[in-house]
Amino acid sequence: MKRIEGPDKVSGRARYASDVRRPGQLQARVLRSPHPHARISRIDISRAEALPGVHAVLCSANAPAISWYETSRLFDATVRFAGDEVAAVAAEHGEIAEDALRLIDVQYECLPFTTLLEEGERGEPQVEGRGDLARGFAEAEVVIERTYTTQCALHNALESHGCTAAWDGDTLVLYESTQGIFSVRDEVAEKLALAPSKVRVITEHMGGGFGAKQIAWKHSVIAALLAQRAGRPVQLMLSRDAENLAVGNRNATRQRVRLGAKRDGTLTAIEVQVLLQSGAYSPGGEDSHVIGTYQTLYRCPNVRAEQIPVRTNTGPAAAFRAPGHAEGNFGLESAMDELARELDLDPIELRLRNYAVEDQASRRPYTSPESLKRCYEEIRKLIEIAASRKKSWGPWKYGIGFAAHDWAAGAGHPPAEVEVQLPGDGTARVLTGVQDIGTGTRTALCQIAAETLGLAPEKVRIVLGDTRPELRAVTSAGSSTLPSLAPAVREAAAQAKERGSGRGQRRPNRKDRSIRTCGAQCVEVAVDLRTGEVKVLRVAASHDCGRVVNATLVDSQVIGGITQALGFALIEERVVDQRLGLVLNANLEEYKVPTAADIPEYLNAVQSMPDLEANELGVKGIGEPPLIPTAAAVANAIFDATGVRIRDLPCKRERLLR
Amino acid sequence: MRPFEYRAPATLDEALALLGAGARPLVGGTDLVTLMKPELVTPERLVSVRKLLPDRIVFDAQGVTLGAAATLADLERDSQIAQRYTALSQAARVAASAQLRNAATLGGNLLQRPRCWYFRHPQVHCWLKGGSECFAREGENQRHALFHPSACVAVHPSDVAPALEAFDAALKVRGPGGERVVPLAKFFAPPTDERRTESTLADDELIVEASLPSHPEETRSVYLKAMDRGLFAFALVSVAAVLRLSSERHVGHARIVLGGVAPIPWRAEAAERALLGAAISDRVLDEAAQAAVHDASPLAQNGYKVPLVKALVRQALESLSR
Repeated sequence: MKRIEGPDKVSGRARYASDVRRPGQLQARVLRSPHPHARISRIDISRAEALPGVHAVLCSANAPAISWYETSRLFDATVRFAGDEVAAVAAEHGEIAEDALRLIDVQYECLPFTTLLEEGERGEPQVEGRGDLARGFAEAEVVIERTYTTQCALHNALESHGCTAAWDGDTLVLYESTQGIFSVRDEVAEKLALAPSKVRVITEHMGGGFGAKQIAWKHSVIAALLAQRAGRPVQLMLSRDAENLAVGNRNATRQRVRLGAKRDGTLTAIEVQVLLQSGAYSPGGEDSHVIGTYQTLYRCPNVRAEQIPVRTNTGPAAAFRAPGHAEGNFGLESAMDELARELDLDPIELRLRNYAVEDQASRRPYTSPESLKRCYEEIRKLIEIAASRKKSWGPWKYGIGFAAHDWAAGAGHPPAEVEVQLPGDGTARVLTGVQDIGTGTRTALCQIAAETLGLAPEKVRIVLGDTRPELRAVTSAGSSTLPSLAPAVREAAAQAKERGSGRGQRRPNRKDRSIRTCGAQCVEVAVDLRTGEVKVLRVAASHDCGRVVNATLVDSQVIGGITQALGFALIEERVVDQRLGLVLNANLEEYKVPTAADIPEYLNAVQSMPDLEANELGVKGIGEPPLIPTAAAVANAIFDATGVRIRDLPCKRERLLR
Repeated sequence: MRPFEYRAPATLDEALALLGAGARPLVGGTDLVTLMKPELVTPERLVSVRKLLPDRIVFDAQGVTLGAAATLADLERDSQIAQRYTALSQAARVAASAQLRNAATLGGNLLQRPRCWYFRHPQVHCWLKGGSECFAREGENQRHALFHPSACVAVHPSDVAPALEAFDAALKVRGPGGERVVPLAKFFAPPTDERRTESTLADDELIVEASLPSHPEETRSVYLKAMDRGLFAFALVSVAAVLRLSSERHVGHARIVLGGVAPIPWRAEAAERALLGAAISDRVLDEAAQAAVHDASPLAQNGYKVPLVKALVRQALESLSR
């Protein structure tokens, strides 16, 4: 089944936050700090306020003292990264608002700063693990000790963060680009000291989020306050620069990894110490648990995993598609490849010898203990085919790389409240307060409802993306949308079939089992060591996402996830001048994402493996997993091709040309 | 972007009268507008010359004349250019994106400003913008120059310029005092304290056309470009090479011009000398590739460009002498 919102999107009928036009609507722009750390000693907005066409100006001098981040405020007198919010203007047109920003006179008193992971202020270490590490290393016959680093990557969703804010009497309506309409509603209500029922959040369509849009950011409250002062609706969409400076990035990491193993490959000890760059603030949302996968992907009795957040004067890090796991996987799966080479073992064989059937962190059996093995088998078949054509030509050296992964999420969870109405004309309406962030949630939910009701899908209308009526549902994060909603839709539809209308809700997952998603990929590359060019020829992916509800949508997630991962593996990197404290490539010209010309052949080997121990439909998420193992598989393939081991992402030319 | 006056005069003379300090000519606008949005340039007046400048590609016995308003797409699609000035056609094809090539013109391409991320950053007042310091020299200089004839270490971004220079192109330039013809190699000049631009064109002058002399049929050429991704990126390093071999496979003519390594297109004369008169052999090609970087001075983060230049020069010469 095709995406049901497809025709609306390609015809331009689909309405995004920036498409909203309310009568009298103003445009807002934000003045951002040009300094990485400074105190605002004086700010004068009088000239901006006097500019014809300007309706409201906000800054630390006149805005309500709304607390934000840990100890800061909506408009704080101290700015902590270049890009931090200093003032905002709402005007008749964007150009007038920009003119007004230039008229705001700010005196900054510059303060010391650092943008470097190694130099920033370290927070509380988070230490996890099990067993006796010293004994584990004492038993080891081979020890691998390496340091890996991952870079700061930028989300760059096609649609930037932003909203249109309008007051209908004492109720605030926010047309928002968000992954969590209820999280935005509740947080904005709290910041404005309103009852949650006085805030309504609407997200009809969305141009991507990738994790950075699962919380309320400052722009929503700024737009609401400007709209209140101006007495008119206000639209505030972030510019690409602001998008790349102020509303999230993937935390850079440094990972010191030690693996101990017997000569047969059995792991006896895993140790990792991680520094992760949080930036200037912790905005909330999903945590970046870099050390998670070190504790779960392989069976090992002795593990010590420590991560230390580091404050720097750079934009705040936020969840980014498989936060923590994408970074941790690069370290762990590169190290496993180095161990396999050291032991002269097949990389899949090494992983099978350390196969985990239970979640060792929580000591619970997995609901699908054999699924990762099935993914290995699928990939092994494809590696064998690849190996048969393995051939270098001219200056191009050919290589194959493998990496496995697990992911802490993808199981789904409450809340998911669903109502199904049958008006009696042979159609059905399915209402829920979830949002479709571009993954095709409408389509998958439509399929489930139509099947349960015995109706053709075109007879089923999915109504979502609105906090009214109050049918609470999850934030679209942690690959949880479908596994959270699907059982509730099923229940509501089944009830409606009997009674004419029905309600369903998601119940908590069972506590005696651990539900995971996992998978494996292999990457084929050709590398020209004279020019340092890496061509990715083919990527094969096999992931456990439970039952496949819609193969086309799974394909989209696999293709999109791997493409984003190839950017992370090869070219994407935020560049900061450490002397000036400025981001040099907060744009799509110098921050390069893959183009159509960079996309290799994809082999999607995802099998439908209904996980009926997890939930009654056996569905799990697929949004994040395809991104996780790619970077390690690319680096492992480059080593296979050239003998050059890249331990620092991205695997750019500079690292191959010496 | 700051407000500005927009003028679309009827004749080139009227246009020239409207140019000068504070005014900018507008054709494709693909670079100018990106400079205006972050207010790196704030012209008071834009003078549209799109319909006033020639946009034709005309072949005659002397060679070819390219109108300054010809688009990169025009250059890319012309079959005679592809045949007789292959490197130029290839350079146009790997520049920017298809959409940009439809709008960007030859004249504007030669006058585009560097992509240096310090120069382009609205909050950095670097030397090239009239400041006192080149921040890239000690900063993030992985994309920057290997050769340093200027206080600025930005690189010239054009793909087309090295190819034109390799074909010994000359520009016809028109100003209030009339027309002058200037070899492309003289048109570009490293920025100085007094003139912080990459060209010698005055504020009140326009490029009208470029002419490329004809050359014997056995002349071959190629343009190679290394980028961070498959397309739509400026060159990390590029090479335009023109080579003519005698029947005994001796080099009778060689031009090698590098992009992405200096503030202006960079002629690798030492490499040309290593080739001229020599019989083609692996050793000669290696020597030429080595000569192309013999006086390179890599910065802290762009050392990779040295082997990259060598590899591209070697690859270009190999393909031309096959």
